[in-house]
This record gives sequence, structure tokens and C-alpha cells, in this order.
Amino acid sequence: MAGVYVYSDNTELCGELIALARTSEQEVCAVTMSDQQGSELAKYGPDTIFVLKGQNHAAESYSGAIAKLLTDQDASLFLAGATVRGRDIAAQVAAKMKAGLISEAGSVNFCNGKISAARYMYGGLTEQVEEGKGLTVITVPSGRYAAVNNDSVKSVVVSMTVDTDPRIKITGSSPIVKEGADLSKAGRIVCVGMGFDKKEDLVIAHKLAEALGAEVGCTRCIAEDRGWMPAETYIGISGAVVKPDLYIALGVSGQIQHTFGVRDSKIIVGVNNNEKATIFGVSDYGIVGDLYEIAPLLADAIKNI
Amino acid sequence: MSNVIVCFKWVKAEDDLRIDPATLAVDLSKAKGKISDYDRNAIEAARIASESAGSETIALTFGSNDAKTALKDALSRGPKQAFWVNDVSAENADGFVTANMLAAAIRKIGSYSLIVCGEGAADTYAHQVGPRIGALLDIPVISFVKEMRIEGSRLYAVRKLEDSLEQVEADLPAVVTVLPEINPAPIPGLKAVLEGGKKPVTEFKIQDLDLEDGDTSRKTDVVSFKGCSMSRKKILINEGDAKEKVTALVAALKKEGVL
Ligand SMILES: Cc1cc2nc3c(=O)[nH]c(=O)nc-3n(C[C@H](O)[C@H](O)[C@H](O)COP(=O)(O)OP(=O)(O)OC[C@H]3O[C@@H](n4cnc5c(N)ncnc54)[C@H](O)[C@@H]3O)c2cc1C
Repeated sequence: MAGVYVYSDNTELCGELIALARTSEQEVCAVTMSDQQGSELAKYGPDTIFVLKGQNHAAESYSGAIAKLLTDQDASLFLAGATVRGRDIAAQVAAKMKAGLISEAGSVNFCNGKISAARYMYGGLTEQVEEGKGLTVITVPSGRYAAVNNDSVKSVVVSMTVDTDPRIKITGSSPIVKEGADLSKAGRIVCVGMGFDKKEDLVIAHKLAEALGAEVGCTRCIAEDRGWMPAETYIGISGAVVKPDLYIALGVSGQIQHTFGVRDSKIIVGVNNNEKATIFGVSDYGIVGDLYEIAPLLADAIKNI
Repeated sequence: MSNVIVCFKWVKAEDDLRIDPATLAVDLSKAKGKISDYDRNAIEAARIASESAGSETIALTFGSNDAKTALKDALSRGPKQAFWVNDVSAENADGFVTANMLAAAIRKIGSYSLIVCGEGAADTYAHQVGPRIGALLDIPVISFVKEMRIEGSRLYAVRKLEDSLEQVEADLPAVVTVLPEINPAPIPGLKAVLEGGKKPVTEFKIQDLDLEDGDTSRKTDVVSFKGCSMSRKKILINEGDAKEKVTALVAALKKEGVL
């Protein structure tokens, strides 16, 4: 059946993709690898749910089977959730089908039988709109579209046995324990950058956050290179995207990949000892100074309000 | 074990982009090139992998004439030799074209056991070339790898998913895309830079590669490309001592209604 095919290992995101696919006014088919996810997807009302059953439980090992399904069904578009697995599968499916792939699309438009999508480039400095030719693959991150419960469509479930790639083997998995705050909902955020010399000094950021009733976030380097803070607390294009009323960057240079994640904040404050730091160009207020001196003074001043 | 091939991209440095605030037109003409940030970590990851397995690291790029500087830079980071698919189409290639070129070049190089790519490029950050290469070469792909080790002809990797770490293994040859945290990307010293300039570079032209019709044309059309505006007040508090600066900031934030 021709139409828009959607896949995500994240069920909620798959619901978002189904809602997006509905705007195409084509048939909407969800692809899953488990009966359980298949039944969970029914509430979003795709026309058809294809449950692919193979030997290998690694989702990535289904990319050949998905490409075959899309070809057999003469699909017009494959939408995948931009998760780690979704990106991998989307790229392999696109390669197998000699198709274009628009990655991490912020918005997708169906217009006069054409499909176009907008995506950020250069860490969020620029935006590019691309138009697909022929079968196109698009990945879409979480939260761009709202999932809609739709009881009016009774999904047809089609189970099929497929060949999976036996060569990759998942031998274990350990959950990442989330220790950090949910920054996406924080009203105030103090952000730790590489201007901090050592881990113990983070107490300065925590004290300021305490005075403000703020959460503490960080740049990618602090989380991934230094390992000083949990990965889910880093902000930016590859991390959390936040929109607090007040965002205070301490010792953050202000590279676009980071500031991309704070651009919807109401007020941005930068504290940096380098007058030429990029952060000042993307801040509402900037203090040129040593964070070790400024942050404690600021905490005191706020406590005294 | 045979060669470890690391693919890297020469990109325009985003810091040099000029965006016209009125029209949002983007001027790339003044932008200097650089090896895509995370590809530097990938080059080091490839060097470490081949060192542990006693094989050779080869650097590979698809780039226009502009990428010539990139080769020296890449070679100063450890690879023994480099291959360069030199074509101007690299400047506006999409993931489809790039992966076709790199896969064709890898086939021509012939002997390889591991292909290493960065997680995503600094300009497009599209996360697609690595997995595409795996699919084209019909070898296993392990993406978003944070740790890896090779034992004999088997690759053991730890991938990072949204909320779990996953242990994955596959027989070589395979493709991995690596996260920057897999290892630091040391800045090459003077000696390494000098040596890098003397290492062999093999240049391929498109016609040297075994490609099918259509492999060299983009699959998506670029409809528009413009800057994103991020306009802020940009008020710099630079007067007085630290205490005075803080007092001024608190007053301003109160006025904004955010305190
Ligand atoms: C594809 C890609 C994706 C990326 N994604 C992200 C992302 O999602 N999030 C992210 O954060 N980064 C991301 N990055 C990395 C990003 O480009 C920057 O490298 C990173 O944000 C810099 O972190 P930083 O500001 O903490 O460190 P630095 O750039 O090292 O800046 C430290 C700053 O502290 C200042 N400083 C030093 N000492 C003091 C002091 N005593 N007082 C005050 N100031 C001081 C310095 O002047 C400097 O400006 C990405 C990069 C790439 C290529």
C-alpha cells in the first residue's frame, strides 16, 4: 500500500510521527518489531500496523527488511524518529533504497504532492529547507509534533516474518541512571562551562542556583569530556533544549552548538573573563569578570533581595 | 588485521560564517576550513584501534580542491597515508552522494577491516554517512559508539542510546560511528605536523571510481539556506568593580521581571 511509513523505537515519538503523517492525506502505516509496541500504537490510529518479526532483536538489524517493505509497498515517504536507533536505521534504509535522507527535520511540509523539510545546519546558525525527490527518508526529533489519540481509525495489523541481519549482536544493556534535573521545564538555569577549573568548584554554581531556585545545567565538555555532571544535564544541539526565564552562563564560551539549546530563553546572562567571548554576542546582559568572584557575589546579592 | 580507514570531512568553520542581519543571507566565502570537530576524535579512535591491532590507519575524505590542507592536517594526526576523492561536487553533496563516493573509494582501496566515521559532521550534523557506508558495503554498522576494542576479527563496542548503554559486537569488517567522548583528539605537535606533510596522498577523480548512473547527484534539492536570527540585548556590564557589576546586573534583572 502506497503511503507514508513511520517508525520509532520510542512509542510516543511514533505517535507524533503518525500525527505528522496524517497531514499528508495519504495512507499512514506504522512499522514496528514487536507485538507489544504494535498494540500500543493502535491508539494513534495509523491505517495499518506492520509488525515485522525476525530472529535478531537488534532493531538496526531490520533495516534491510524495512527497505524491502517500503519497496514492496511502493511507499512515498519513510519517517523515522530521530533517536539513536532511528537515525541509524533511517540512514541504512535510505542507502539501500538509494533515497535522500533529511535528518533531524524541525518541520515537515506536504504541499502539492511534494515533501519538504527544514533543518538546522552549522550547529543552529543557519537553517536549510530541502525538498525530496522520489521516495524520501526523514528523521524527526521528539516533541516537534503532538501525538493525537485517534479512535476513529481501526488499524489493520499485518504481521510478517522477515529476514534480519544476523551479524550484529546485542550482548547486554545497562540503563543510564538519570541523576540530573529535567531542565526542559526549569524556570531558571545556571549553566556550568569549562571556565570552572575543577569539579569541587561546581559548588559555586550550586550555591548560586540555590539562591535563585534554579537548576544547574552544563556544556557538553563538562559532561562528556570532564564527566563532572550527568550527560542529561548538558544543553545544546545534541543535548537538552531549554527555555527558562533566566539562563546564567558561567564560564561558557557561547559556541553555537551550545547556545542553540538556550535560544528560547527569556533572558540570557553571560559571565566570562574574556571580553571577546562569543557568549556576550548572544546574551542580554554580560558581565566581564571572573566567575569565581562574580558568582558568589551574585548569590549573596540575590539572597539579600 | 588489515587497514583501519577513517573518513573525515573538511567543513567551513562556523565561527567565520557571516549572516546579514537584515536579509539573513549567509556568506560562507570568508570562512576558513577545518576538519570537522568530531572527526578529529574519530581519527584518533582509528589510530588507537589500528595500533592495538597492529594494522595501518588510512585517512579518507571526499572534498574539493579546498580539502588539500585537510589532508596534511589529518595525516599529522597519525594515519600513514591518505586518499582523497577530489571533486567540486563535494561542496554541495548530500549524504547520499558523499556515502556513494566514500564507499566506492573504500572498495578501490580494497583491503580494510574497520571503517571509522564521526557521529556527525559539524556543518550538517546529519548522522547519516557512516551507516550509509555500511549499508553500501554490506557490512555491519555499530553507530554512536563510546568505547570499542578489537579482539582477533571481532569488534566489541559500547553504544550510547538515549537512556542506556548497549554492548554490541560484530565480526570485522564493520563500520563504526564514534561519539567524541570515545577519546580526546590531541593537537598534533610540530614534529607530527612536519611528518604529516611528507606522508603519501592518493588522489581519486570521480571517473576513477566504480559508480553507477545517478550516484553523483543529490537526492534532495536545497530550496533555501539562511541564517537564524538570535537577537539579544547584548548589554555588557563592564564598569566598576565586581560588586558594582553584580549590583547593576541584579537591578537589570529585576527590571526585566526575572528575579
Ligand atoms: C557537532 C557538534 C555538536 C555539539 N553539541 C554541543 C551541545 O549540544 N552542547 C554543548 O554545550 N556543546 C556542544 N558542542 C561543543 C561546542 O562546540 C563547544 O565546544 C562547547 O559548548 C564549549 O563548552 P564551554 O563553553 O564549556 O568551553 P570553552 O569553549 O572551553 O569555554 C570556556 C569559557 O570559559 C571562560 N573562562 C575561563 N575561565 C574563566 C573564569 N575564571 N571566569 C569566567 N570565565 C572563564 C573562557 O574565556 C571561555 O570562554 C558541539 C560541537 C559540535 C562540533
